[in-house]
Amino acid sequence: MSPSSSRPAVVVTGFGAVNAVGCGREPTAAALASGTPAWSEVERPAGYHRRGGGARLAGLAAGHDLSAWVSAGAARRMSLGSKLAVAAARMALADAGIVAGAEVGGKPTAMVFSNAFGPSMITEKILTQIESEGPLAVSPALFTESVANAPAAQVAIVCRALGANVTVTQREAGALIALARAAGEVARGRAGYALVVAVDEVTPLLHAVFDRFGALSRPDAGGEEARPFDRRRNGFILGEGASALVVETAESAAQRGARVLARFLGTASAFDPEAPATGWGSDPAALTPALERLLARAGDVDAVVCGASGSVAGDRLEARVLKAVWGGRPPRGGSGGEARPLPPLLAPKAVLGEFGGAQLAAAVLALGGAPCGRTPGFSEVDPELGVTPWAGGALAPSSLLVSSLATGGAAAWAVLARAAGTFTPSPSPRGRGE
Amino acid sequence: MKDGPAPGHRVVVTGIGAVSGWGWGADELWRGLAGGAAAIGVPARFDTRRHRTRLAAEVPPSPNGLAASVPGWRRLSRADRFAVAAAMEACRQAGLEGDDARGFDLGVFFGGSTAGMAECERFFHGLTERRRARISLLVSHPLNAPGDAVARLVGARGPVQSLSSACASGALAIGAALDALRDGDVAMAVAGGADSLCHLTFAGFNSLRIVDAEHCRPFRRQRQGLNLGEGAGVLVLETLEHARRRGARPLAELLGAGASCDAHHMTAPHPQGAGAALALRSALGDAGVAAGDVGFVNAHGTGTPQNDAAEWRAIEQVFGERARRIPVTATKGAVGHLLGSSGAIEAVATVQCLAAGAAHAAPGDGGADEDLGVDLVVGGARPLAPDCVAVSTSFGFGGANAVLVLRGWPR
Repeated sequence: MSPSSSRPAVVVTGFGAVNAVGCGREPTAAALASGTPAWSEVERPAGYHRRGGGARLAGLAAGHDLSAWVSAGAARRMSLGSKLAVAAARMALADAGIVAGAEVGGKPTAMVFSNAFGPSMITEKILTQIESEGPLAVSPALFTESVANAPAAQVAIVCRALGANVTVTQREAGALIALARAAGEVARGRAGYALVVAVDEVTPLLHAVFDRFGALSRPDAGGEEARPFDRRRNGFILGEGASALVVETAESAAQRGARVLARFLGTASAFDPEAPATGWGSDPAALTPALERLLARAGDVDAVVCGASGSVAGDRLEARVLKAVWGGRPPRGGSGGEARPLPPLLAPKAVLGEFGGAQLAAAVLALGGAPCGRTPGFSEVDPELGVTPWAGGALAPSSLLVSSLATGGAAAWAVLARAAGTFTPSPSPRGRGE
Repeated sequence: MKDGPAPGHRVVVTGIGAVSGWGWGADELWRGLAGGAAAIGVPARFDTRRHRTRLAAEVPPSPNGLAASVPGWRRLSRADRFAVAAAMEACRQAGLEGDDARGFDLGVFFGGSTAGMAECERFFHGLTERRRARISLLVSHPLNAPGDAVARLVGARGPVQSLSSACASGALAIGAALDALRDGDVAMAVAGGADSLCHLTFAGFNSLRIVDAEHCRPFRRQRQGLNLGEGAGVLVLETLEHARRRGARPLAELLGAGASCDAHHMTAPHPQGAGAALALRSALGDAGVAAGDVGFVNAHGTGTPQNDAAEWRAIEQVFGERARRIPVTATKGAVGHLLGSSGAIEAVATVQCLAAGAAHAAPGDGGADEDLGVDLVVGGARPLAPDCVAVSTSFGFGGANAVLVLRGWPR
């Protein structure tokens, strides 16, 4: 959504997260502050990983106890993605001071989710049923949860959300496209508030397929680690989890007396038609005009929450795009076109793994004043890229760009800004069983 | 008229493309719809022998020469091929061939629910049977694959969005394009959806016992369920100013879009059609059109007893006493249920009805279920006014609802 001067300002008032490092704001903030990932070994029963030294690690969230947010009865009917989404959504609602099921401002509630591959585990189970027992054996309960919008539907039922229910499936760019759509829903007055949830799950087979495509970091190619922008990077580490944001107008937040976590200043997206279906393009010029227009509207930023994950081609393209934009834009108020130093580059996927929710979490936490730690895995500048991700230390950005370049050619960016006031950790999310 | 329309540019349809059980092309689709028959039968390529029911609307083999005209055709999934074929046709009709369309002002908004699932099933079969499978079968597995394939084909450099909200996906994608055009984010958009038949959806819908073993019969008393279909529908949308500037002829105006959620059940619609009614009202409000101005409904009309009844209750709530006098058709009776792309191909069919000044008939014998009171178009086309306002409805799993409002463009 292009910011329009006639449109109301949009803010983020609630945050929830489940990811590899734990459930909620505190473990996520702590892991990002210390730069400490929590990788787990992936089971490899399918036997489809690369032979020899294929990838072994992922940032898995499936083992967390979600009973505070999802009852055992409800959990039995849900895919992993739905469970993660419901848990994160309930945390975000509690954080925003909204009772699940209540409307804000007398308007319906919108759900805008992102999801790269849908409920992969359910899909695999159904295909296994078809292969082993025939199509008549397919479970209707499984099929119901096999659609990509199942998490959005489950959360809508929890929240009695009668507004638009949209699931964006634009790979890595999906979370920011979802945020933009949610901002549009509330700014246009269609919804009292919108829940943005970026949710992804990792299955052993999905992990194996990424391994076969050569996308994952692996031990036989210099060590298995996510190394954003590093010269030795050799792929990313898949992550799973859900990040949820409550988005509403500033006016609505003020009327409710809600604490504002971040202000939404604008978004942009673009596509490189020369990019291959399984990778990234190589020409930053395909993407930079949209980003330059966004920054011209939204103003300078103090940091960038990058999508860099350790992908050889993806990190290269992102570095080129950022350098092209910062190298070509005049400083605020200036008339020249001289290059300026890049702002600090945060790379949260080094901690949380490659999934859509990683950047939303990092952005909201950083703007709330949570410490931004070092980028684990980075030790050597890639001379081809010439960029260095954040090494830790004091950083209190008043505004930041979130950048996400997707496999296949899509790209999306958003600018978020700090709210007035300082970060105050909210109480632990209050669970509520169904 | 009631409320004013949503602010921003007026948006018109200047090209349509379709792939359906009737063949590869919008003309093939319209000939089939106008003929009043159904493109539903026992599929040749897709083996349904092990399933509970046998019928589907399968797309026939592609025409000679198409494969050679699309770069990388061999690597595309079946759904991707439907998508790019329909997009090529729509762009051709809109006069956007070659480099004219390429640019930063062009976006792609695409919906679907299966993408490369048919190819994924071949991969999975190989893995299960032989513990070996071709990884290339999964290139188009992600749900963004058809939309990205279209974006590559047309050289889009603006926003590209893939949406997957079950059977509302295609209509939601067209609604997203409308927002982007009104906001000035793009001057042109290629919007639609594509899906192909696959065992997962065929077995899944059968497991829910909502597939009709015979030809589906939307809004008829004997209706037993849906028939699945496959294909694609694509619209070229642009601002009216842009169309006028380049001399493009509008086929229809996209007046508005609305979306809602039942928030009721994962598969069953709200029994009173509350969510569907909300989407209808939202779309009419967005369009600045009063319920009394609507002259034609292209219904979601799956043919399942519950869905059709709930949809009718929604139509009754929104249109009141007049509901029984508004012609209603159901394109799914002719081309099956294209799932995530159903809203897209039904938008194409609605544009065709408006352009032809005639609502196509719902195939099959007999009138509508008397308990519903729907004025179903049967036995032949029904004339429509040149500036008729039509709504096209799409209601999906998980309670996702989307409605489009279109108006005929006077010829």
